[in-house]
Amino acid sequence: MSTDNVRRARGIAGPLFATALVIPCIVFAQQPPSAPPAANTQAPAPMRWEKTVRTITSGPWKGPRLADGQPDVQGDWSNTIANHNNFTDPQGGIPGDPTVRRPPGPRENRAPSRVSDPADGQIPFQPWARAKQQEFAVGFFNPVKPEYIEPLARCAPAGSPKSFTWHGYEIRQYPGYIVFLFNSSYRIIYLDKRPHLPDNIKLWNGDSHGHWEGNTLVVDVTNNNAKARFARTAEFASENVRIEERYIFDNDRQHYNYVATFTDPTVYTRPWTTTIPARRYTVADKSDGWHYEVPLANNPNGPPIGDHYERICVENNGGFGQVATTSKK
Amino acid sequence: MMALALTGAQMALAGQGAGPDGKIPRLPTGKPDFSGIWQTTSAADYDLEPHPARKDAPPSVGIVEGGAIPYLQKALAQKQKNFAARGTTDPRLKCWTLGTPRGIYYPEPFQIFERREDLTLVFEFGNSVRTIHTDGSLHPIDTDNEFWLGDSRGHWEGDTLVVDVRDFNDETWLDRAGNYHSEALHIVERWRYLDANTIEYRATLDDLQVYSKPWNISVLLYRHREQGFQLIENYCYTLDYEQYYPFPKASAGTDNDTTSDPSAPVAKP
Repeated sequence: MSTDNVRRARGIAGPLFATALVIPCIVFAQQPPSAPPAANTQAPAPMRWEKTVRTITSGPWKGPRLADGQPDVQGDWSNTIANHNNFTDPQGGIPGDPTVRRPPGPRENRAPSRVSDPADGQIPFQPWARAKQQEFAVGFFNPVKPEYIEPLARCAPAGSPKSFTWHGYEIRQYPGYIVFLFNSSYRIIYLDKRPHLPDNIKLWNGDSHGHWEGNTLVVDVTNNNAKARFARTAEFASENVRIEERYIFDNDRQHYNYVATFTDPTVYTRPWTTTIPARRYTVADKSDGWHYEVPLANNPNGPPIGDHYERICVENNGGFGQVATTSKK
Repeated sequence: MMALALTGAQMALAGQGAGPDGKIPRLPTGKPDFSGIWQTTSAADYDLEPHPARKDAPPSVGIVEGGAIPYLQKALAQKQKNFAARGTTDPRLKCWTLGTPRGIYYPEPFQIFERREDLTLVFEFGNSVRTIHTDGSLHPIDTDNEFWLGDSRGHWEGDTLVVDVRDFNDETWLDRAGNYHSEALHIVERWRYLDANTIEYRATLDDLQVYSKPWNISVLLYRHREQGFQLIENYCYTLDYEQYYPFPKASAGTDNDTTSDPSAPVAKP
């Protein structure tokens, strides 16, 4: 049993409130995910994140299929570039970080922006929206207003696209459904042709309707409550956003790219696209407390399989002296 | 081939489980397929035990076999304390994970997704996720796990799914009346179809710290078959702070934003 799972079960693994959150997020920005999040004084270890984004093209699926015909992409996945600290300079740490860190070095030595279109790597915000994003980003380290605290720190679902840069996650597939089990929330993709929910129902994860085109899962996301932020750099959309997600699975079965186009005339000057690469994790990987929080199951009579323990957040959330629960010893 | 397969999936969804012959749905393995959206019509969550009408609970004969929960004397005192304070201390009021078995008979739907190797139960209330493993794996060897939903390992006895659940914490209640358990709780659940749209859920609860002997509950779960019915996010605990996150928009008079809904509240500067 790894300590990560004990920690989750006992109650200190959830995202902490903003003031308590600064230390672990900085460590994650500069160190591999296997570093203990609280070990602030530890010397930085070599970067384990990849610096490039693999090209995966949409086309036929040549891998195995499930009984209902869907490409079989079940299992554990996690992003390969960086966590959710910084949307446009994913390995650049959080802007305004008051804690002295290793100099990040030249920009070209780090992974590219998560914004793959436009070519400048920036979200084409309208001027007022850019100003708002920058206000939030500065406020991250000085949360004098409630809205400066990122909702994820209060255990809100991370939404799209942040869920794909926040811990590893699991995909389970069923006839008519794909279920994402994120560290903070689950999300059901409906593969039937049902209509979207009524417009006045707004959701952290939106209302997701998908279909397969060869190796690509195409998901139309509406009904977004637009309360989640894309990263700690505080990029956002409005309730009017429409997201077309394309999950392009490599026929090597080890990688996929999340490619999502955001259309929202309320906030942006033009549609833009994010690309978030991910790779598969299996029992051959070590449980590392970030990408892959899956210990080996107690399965003496069968092959090695991973255990997925419950993921609890708000009940365990800290920040006020770890007193959220009533009877901890 | 792909198109045919997906059409089949859509038909399965439209049929919501029950075959035209009324037989229970089954996985390709032949085991009963409990996939679907389920909910009780009972008043179990208000109080598992028999009770007359109260301001905060409809009357019910309860779902405890034999009527009363066999509390140890000292534990009964705690239960009575819980009952007296139920209006403020029920963990449900904080939107916390309801736990096992409470999530099953809470009056809000949950959905089961079933594969050969597991059943995934997703609850609308709090968006909790519980996995029942049916892959032959056993409870974790470590005994210091304390889960809100317990650790669930299932096996099939004929068409009945038998689930052994242990490794609990003591944070959850069993109902709104303050019935409770300790970390020593051990549950054996038995799930079986009565017909294609009705599950009989039975559970035996044992807890040497709280009860004088094991006791049983039984409740029926009905399949949601309404057209267009689906789970809708209810994180619940986010409702207290959603007010701080109106979707960001331009402050009044600061720019030429003309596309926003003018009737929507403007974010405070």
